[in-house]
Amino acid sequence: MKPRIGVFVCHCGLNIAASVEVSEVVKAIKDYPGVVHAQDYIYMCSDPGQNLVRKAIREHNLTGLVMSNCSPSLHERTFRNLAKSEGLNPYLVEVANIREYCSWPHQGDKETATKKALTIIKATIERVKRNQALTPLVVPLQKRVLVLGGGVAGMQTALDIAEGGYPVTILEKQAYLGGRVRQLDHTFVTMEKAKDLAGEMIDRTLAQPNIEVLTTAQIEGISGYVGNFEVQIRRQSDWVDPEKCNGCEACIKACPVEVPSTFDRGLVMRKAIDWTPGARPGEKRVFLDHQACVRVTRQESCTACQEVCDQGAITYPEDEQITQMYGAIVVATGHDLYRKSALTEYATDPDVLDALQFERLLSEDGPTGGKVLRPSDGKEPKEVVFVQCAGSRDPDKHFPYCSKICCMYTCKEARRYKEKVPDGQAYVFFIDVRSTGKGYEEFVKESVQKERLLYLKGKVSKIARQGDKLLVLGGDTITGHRVEIEADLVVLAMATVPSPGAKELARLLNVNTDPYGFIQEAHPKLAPVETLTAGIYLAGTSQAPKDIPHAIYQASGAASKILSLFSRKELIHEPLVAHVDTEICAGCGYCHDNCAYQAVSVDPILKKAVVNEALCEGCGACATACPSGAIQVKNLDSKQVFDMISVVTKDYALRP
Amino acid sequence: MASHKWIKFPAENRDAVVKELLKSLLEKGVVSGVVAPSTLPSGASAAQSLITDPAMIDQLNPFAPVMAVSTAKILSQMTRIKPMTKKVAVLLRPCELRATIELTKLKQANLENLLLISMDCAGAFSVKTYASLVQEGEDPMGLEAKLFGGEEDPLLRPVCQGCEWSVPENCDIVIAKHGLGADQYGCIALTDQGDEALGVVGNGEAWEGGEEARNTAVQKWNEAKIAKRDAQFAELKEKVSGIDNLLKIYAMCINCHNCMTVCPICFCKECFFNSAVFEFESDRFMDWSGAKGGLRLPTDTLLFHIGRMNHMSTSCVACGMCQDACPNEVPVAQIFKMVGYNTQKRFDYVAGRSLDEPVLLTQFREDELHEIGGE
Repeated sequence: MKPRIGVFVCHCGLNIAASVEVSEVVKAIKDYPGVVHAQDYIYMCSDPGQNLVRKAIREHNLTGLVMSNCSPSLHERTFRNLAKSEGLNPYLVEVANIREYCSWPHQGDKETATKKALTIIKATIERVKRNQALTPLVVPLQKRVLVLGGGVAGMQTALDIAEGGYPVTILEKQAYLGGRVRQLDHTFVTMEKAKDLAGEMIDRTLAQPNIEVLTTAQIEGISGYVGNFEVQIRRQSDWVDPEKCNGCEACIKACPVEVPSTFDRGLVMRKAIDWTPGARPGEKRVFLDHQACVRVTRQESCTACQEVCDQGAITYPEDEQITQMYGAIVVATGHDLYRKSALTEYATDPDVLDALQFERLLSEDGPTGGKVLRPSDGKEPKEVVFVQCAGSRDPDKHFPYCSKICCMYTCKEARRYKEKVPDGQAYVFFIDVRSTGKGYEEFVKESVQKERLLYLKGKVSKIARQGDKLLVLGGDTITGHRVEIEADLVVLAMATVPSPGAKELARLLNVNTDPYGFIQEAHPKLAPVETLTAGIYLAGTSQAPKDIPHAIYQASGAASKILSLFSRKELIHEPLVAHVDTEICAGCGYCHDNCAYQAVSVDPILKKAVVNEALCEGCGACATACPSGAIQVKNLDSKQVFDMISVVTKDYALRP
Repeated sequence: MASHKWIKFPAENRDAVVKELLKSLLEKGVVSGVVAPSTLPSGASAAQSLITDPAMIDQLNPFAPVMAVSTAKILSQMTRIKPMTKKVAVLLRPCELRATIELTKLKQANLENLLLISMDCAGAFSVKTYASLVQEGEDPMGLEAKLFGGEEDPLLRPVCQGCEWSVPENCDIVIAKHGLGADQYGCIALTDQGDEALGVVGNGEAWEGGEEARNTAVQKWNEAKIAKRDAQFAELKEKVSGIDNLLKIYAMCINCHNCMTVCPICFCKECFFNSAVFEFESDRFMDWSGAKGGLRLPTDTLLFHIGRMNHMSTSCVACGMCQDACPNEVPVAQIFKMVGYNTQKRFDYVAGRSLDEPVLLTQFREDELHEIGGE
């Protein structure tokens, strides 16, 4: 069938028309082989513009459209949908970008721009002549979600999705749910006990029949694509049977390994087998930490704990390997605090704490039972210095970003300290107090007034041990005075950093990270809960520092994206994918090695490349690598590219 | 490896020793077949054959200094779809060995069940030169002895004259010359498999402590070859620099694609330049001619060479088969060798050097090419 192509040239107001002589383009292109209709209009994307195109499709029985306007990222979909509604296959529509590629860079040079616009349009006509009518691909959808991380963000996402009726698995690295919130004392601005907040969520999570919780579990491998991720999970088996354990502590006494307690941020030492937070706040259980046990760390065959257990509760089974299909994944792996040693040489001084250590001192389930006592001598500190922006907002030496939550939690911690030590004095060194959340400013004002917190605008230059005291040297930029405080305790609001292993996880999942290792969202404004890998979403502080309400917003946002994805019966995938001519393919595997999406493989029996169309993004890296041209991207094959180049070389031939 | 066998024997026995080895391997069932060159009926050339009957081993001409078809291409044909299920011994030159390694990495050959026997190579003559040498009564084997003695021979294929990879590395057995006197050859097992195979023939005198002498000799040999190569490159670079020179040197090309057909690395089933992409409508020819006022026909001659270079120069082993196949004596192998050498050097890669080095086009190195800047 002879092609009947329609060419539509948009003025884009004056965006195109000021540089390109649109009427001349239409006049010249009318008689180009294959073109049966050409027309211009001031805004082709407007309703009247679209109606012109519709009318022309019907009247001229068009078999292809060349939309000469702005970038395809703006209106390719508009005109493809239009074509579809007129019964013309949408993949017979191509955009000739004469705005970004032509009128904009050649402003003020009408001759150059008009000539170039014509060449771009002619090349696109040649492409459309060989375009195939394609049908979108239908991809099955596994309606099951994997949430990585069982903190408040992970639990919120899981709850929203589970309540929507879909099964969810939460993978949690630790032995308990609740994440960082489990380590906190109170939360700003409600001054509610963090363990009540976490406890309520944990109760709901454990009671939700659609949620499967796998603690001490991590993702080990992943393949597949949106709707169909095959995930390998490794779960550390429980070496202490909680049903049999009677809490006699004989094993704890017998265990030869002592390590700093991670839950108490190293304030106390614990054994490899020891009490650990239980499923719910307030509960505890005996747990054998594989990462500390010499059976794992040194491959030794120590059985000290097993030997003394008269309940027979201790065994050492192998880790559990689980493989499961998931349709979507949420990364909610949380954050950590920047290490103190990066900031001060006094990081090892027992009375210089990071904010989470101080939370443990404040907490009823902490090492002091909630009494504020100095780690060095167990005395009640009367002068406490809080240092904000410890590592944050310091582009030269540490991190340029604001860790966002420190202003508020420092205020809360100072306030909690004063509630517990009414005759003590709290000093807060700050650069700015950023209290932009709902009720935050009021909280800070109220705390300062009520507890007489002394806020000093300035940086701390040095912390030095002086006998019983820590000498804190700083400046107050408001009064211009140097400040020296003889403190009993110093609390550093260390910068928020990604959880350890976040970068490796990102690599495994094929998602990007920002320069600091936080997982990169797909778009900072328009797609803040998505990643650039379809089917992988973000929640909580794995993306950036944020407080609990913001983590919850994002978690529910991710959940709603997934519920929207799952509301479809199956997934639709663009048919602009790679295709293999098996007669020509020699099975060398260049395509496989060059595919960023693991979409091409070489069949081991047939020795031919095979494309997984659902994974293929149509980028064309394979087609470029293939020496014989056996693999081609549909509607942009070598022949089409050659035809397009021929137009250009003809129009721009250099005659010697 | 010192623990493997090193054997030496008088030079005049080389053919007999190797034939005896191959025959014994067949007879004792260590291998089920032998791929090695046999003299062709004309007597004026030799080509690879697959022999399964020990009685036919006598027909072999294992060291005839000529390569009609690259053994790598033959091995690809035999093992691409399915590796050998029975063991086969293969006698091949170092460039053929390197091409085989390269093809294995490109999934076009499989080394399973192959016993690879290579040799210190003095170089080969083109099929035409070899035939005329034989017809003139010259003894090509005698020429080889002179070459190992350090003499240059302008009749040798040009890539062989400057071949710096003529001592084999990735095989089971080497038929060795370097490190031995003019009157001797040797056999070295490089692998356990090679060692076992050599064990089937008890003959041969142990070559004691040969390693040091051999290393020195190999180094000296390679230095001479590299010097020759560099001289060749310098001369060639003058001739091919710039589009005008390139057009001149390829002016005799008749677009027969022989170079591509015989190239062991050109593994494509259908060359892109023979594909439908290069079938054009009549108007296109008129357009092209119109653009310049005239058009060289057939079209795309230089594009073919540059395209082929782009596709395979990172894997080019400089075997020279392309130049032998050229009817018009275009120095295509020398050009490809020079380009291949420089591209490979840039990425610290040598085609066929090791199975563990992935082929360049399959790799992504974050810190790869740097912007040179716009002087």
